[in-house]
Amino acid sequence: MKTKIQYLIVILFTFILSLFTSLSLVAQPKVMQIIKETPSYASCNYHIYPDSITTPLTPSPEGKKPFYVSHYGRHGSRYISSRSGYDIPYMMMLHADSLDELTPAGRKVLHEMNLIMHDTEDRWGELTGYGKAQLQSIGRRMAENFPEVFRPGTKVTARSTIVSRCIESMGAATLEMLQVCPQLEISMQASQRNQWYMNHQDRKLRRGYMTPEAQKAYDSYIAHRMGNIRLMEMIFKNPDIVKEVVDEEQFSYYLMKMSLFQLNTNFNQNTHLMGLFHTDDLYLMWQIDNALWYIQHGACKLNGGRQPYSQRYLLRQMIADADSCIQLDQPTAQLRFGHETVLLPLVCLIGVNGYDLETDNLDELEERGWLCSSVFPMGCNLQFIFYRSNPKDQDVLFKVLLNEVEATLPLQPVSGPYYRWADFRQYCLDKLSNYK
Amino acid sequence: MQLLSVLKYRIFWVIICVLVTVNVQAQSEIAKELKADINRSAGMFYARPVGKMPKDTPAPKGKKPFYINHYGCPGSYYLDKKEYYTDTYATFAKADSLGKLTDFGKDVFRRIGLLYQDANGRFGELTAKGARQSRALMKQMVERFPDMFTPKGYYSVRSVVENRCILTMMESLLQLSSMQQPLVARSKASHQEKSFMDPEDKLLTSQRTDSLTMALYTRFSALNSNDGRLMGSLFNDQNYVITNIDAATLSKQLYILAGDVQHTDLAGQVTLYDIFTPEEVHRHWRKQNAWHYINYGGCTLNGGYQAYLQRAVLRNMIHMGDSMMSRYNPLMHLRFTHANVVMSLACLMELDDYGLHTANLDSLEAYGWANYRIAPLGGSIEMIHYRSERGDPDVLVKVLLNGHEARLPIETDCAPYYHWNDVKRYYLRKLYRYENRRFNFNVKRR
Repeated sequence: MKTKIQYLIVILFTFILSLFTSLSLVAQPKVMQIIKETPSYASCNYHIYPDSITTPLTPSPEGKKPFYVSHYGRHGSRYISSRSGYDIPYMMMLHADSLDELTPAGRKVLHEMNLIMHDTEDRWGELTGYGKAQLQSIGRRMAENFPEVFRPGTKVTARSTIVSRCIESMGAATLEMLQVCPQLEISMQASQRNQWYMNHQDRKLRRGYMTPEAQKAYDSYIAHRMGNIRLMEMIFKNPDIVKEVVDEEQFSYYLMKMSLFQLNTNFNQNTHLMGLFHTDDLYLMWQIDNALWYIQHGACKLNGGRQPYSQRYLLRQMIADADSCIQLDQPTAQLRFGHETVLLPLVCLIGVNGYDLETDNLDELEERGWLCSSVFPMGCNLQFIFYRSNPKDQDVLFKVLLNEVEATLPLQPVSGPYYRWADFRQYCLDKLSNYK
Repeated sequence: MQLLSVLKYRIFWVIICVLVTVNVQAQSEIAKELKADINRSAGMFYARPVGKMPKDTPAPKGKKPFYINHYGCPGSYYLDKKEYYTDTYATFAKADSLGKLTDFGKDVFRRIGLLYQDANGRFGELTAKGARQSRALMKQMVERFPDMFTPKGYYSVRSVVENRCILTMMESLLQLSSMQQPLVARSKASHQEKSFMDPEDKLLTSQRTDSLTMALYTRFSALNSNDGRLMGSLFNDQNYVITNIDAATLSKQLYILAGDVQHTDLAGQVTLYDIFTPEEVHRHWRKQNAWHYINYGGCTLNGGYQAYLQRAVLRNMIHMGDSMMSRYNPLMHLRFTHANVVMSLACLMELDDYGLHTANLDSLEAYGWANYRIAPLGGSIEMIHYRSERGDPDVLVKVLLNGHEARLPIETDCAPYYHWNDVKRYYLRKLYRYENRRFNFNVKRR
């Protein structure tokens, strides 16, 4: 009898154990695996745009040709936008060093930090060589993928926000398009005048994103994910003593960022700090950031799910631009160059690839595929490609490419990735008119 | 004795006459240019016309260009101080609401409204005309130096971090890209390179407008101002003008706006030059020109060293010239920076005698020191290096100022080509003398 019960317990235990492991296998591998292969994925908006896009595109719908491209893209890889992010771990390190609290390993870390600070000085927020190359490839692929649009004489209107890295990105992309088709008529503008839709930051919405409920959920979500005692013991002689000058959570978080951001540079790239971190460390940081990005820009129920509406002006403008360009007999392209804090909410607003996900459970994000790094790496872009058989064809179809891969919309497609423009237009206008 | 004094008297008069005629002739030179194209009076805001391709003096036998070092101003742009639009508009709007504008004044008010509307939200940005101009200038450069623009050529393109300069750079690059496939170009707009693209020198800038200089400039300004006629034509109540309008300021604002029209697509439809007499425009230009001379040129009122602000740029130019000697393939350094950098650089290099040193602001015209000739929008300084083959010890250079072959203050046997070694020696000595003086000055002060 007793053995039987024991036997049963053992079986039950192994069952539960296997259940746990299988669960964790289901929940963890995807992002964890990605980060293992591409550590930069963990740095969210500093993730690097893939070098080459190999996903094939579905052929045009029968009898129709692309005639209009509408695009919003982020600038390419850049340096960190201000020195404050780097200063946090750097100052802590300097302080600890002045107290002679660095281990030999810690001194090496400080040495690398010095080099990084030196290389980044005076380049805060500037486009890197990688960034330029990313945009050039994106521009080239766009022109090569849609030769019906990018053909001699086509008017290409390029707009950028007034930030220099965006202007340079615009230049890099259009320059490469001219290499594919030298007779394109490209006009560029980087104007304060277009900022209201190109880079709209809604102060009112922004102020309200961290509601008490959101704060509570976020705090409990990050509680067991911050800090890295292994790192502290490796770098500091007495982690307990330096606690006065080194905040463990902030230190490990920002040092991780510092090492990951280096992947965005090509000259003077310094990846020595990467070895300090395990995949789990990066993964935990990614989780924290992913949750915060969701609260800030996703349709998070904890703050009413209104944050994506910050890009209502841009969506309206894109619809208005499309309306007028559809009237033209000649193919056209409109390119817009801006920021990730615009593109992410735009994607959430439109509901590309299910990113309009509404939930109040931050633990659900990963499993339901809300992964910010997949939306807005450096150079990320959203392209609307419009199709018709001839200028008189009223049945305009279109498809959406998110980072140059065909994406889904929360609508019934006509076929494959193709949706009816009129449906989408109505869907968006209805959604926007419900926003008060 | 008496004969001597009579003779002296005569000589005196002869000298006076000669001086006056020289003066009159030189003045009419500028006046002629202003008359030919009134837009020139905008000075540093004159949009450099692309025009016909200037003729090049053939290079001495066997020499071919292998390196171009180019410093360009931004192309046509909207005024970056929005007050020129808003304040002027407000002045007229107020007077209009009180019924103080003449019919002519009302029409001017309408035109200012158009300009304001066109520029609103675009202050300081490159205009569509500026974009076309940048491309056309680059096209001309490519066609002028076909040896340089081959698939083997390499373009290193730089801009200061300023919207309009970056866009000028990008427009130029797009032009290159449409003319040449494949293209090897590396562009960058970084604060990192500020030290030799747009250097700062707090000591020099602090000396720029000392009180004595300002006193003399204010006097010069007052002598060249007479805004009564203009005010009388715009406003119907002179009492209102006296009590409410700062005539000198308003007149200057209108003059600046008049010069701005050429950069917009309103040019040809709207003008503000008709509200001035040619003499008034000329006076406004004269004041502006003197101001630029004081700030960026060799004006001795404030020491005569302002152009040395760009010494790091010149030093970099020389350094680059030396570095390029061992290259196999042609290289272009295309740099885009602020117009005042190009202006001071031209003065520092003494191109076409623009290195002029004088304390007499009235003499600038006679010497031909005119801001629109030196650094208009789209203006440039290009130093072009020639050699017969790699390793040629006698590298020649010529300098183009706004596309025209410029004269350097250096002896040569093949003008407008100069021997690189002479050029280098002259400029390095010049810079050394200045730095030496400044160092000693600092030591003494301590």
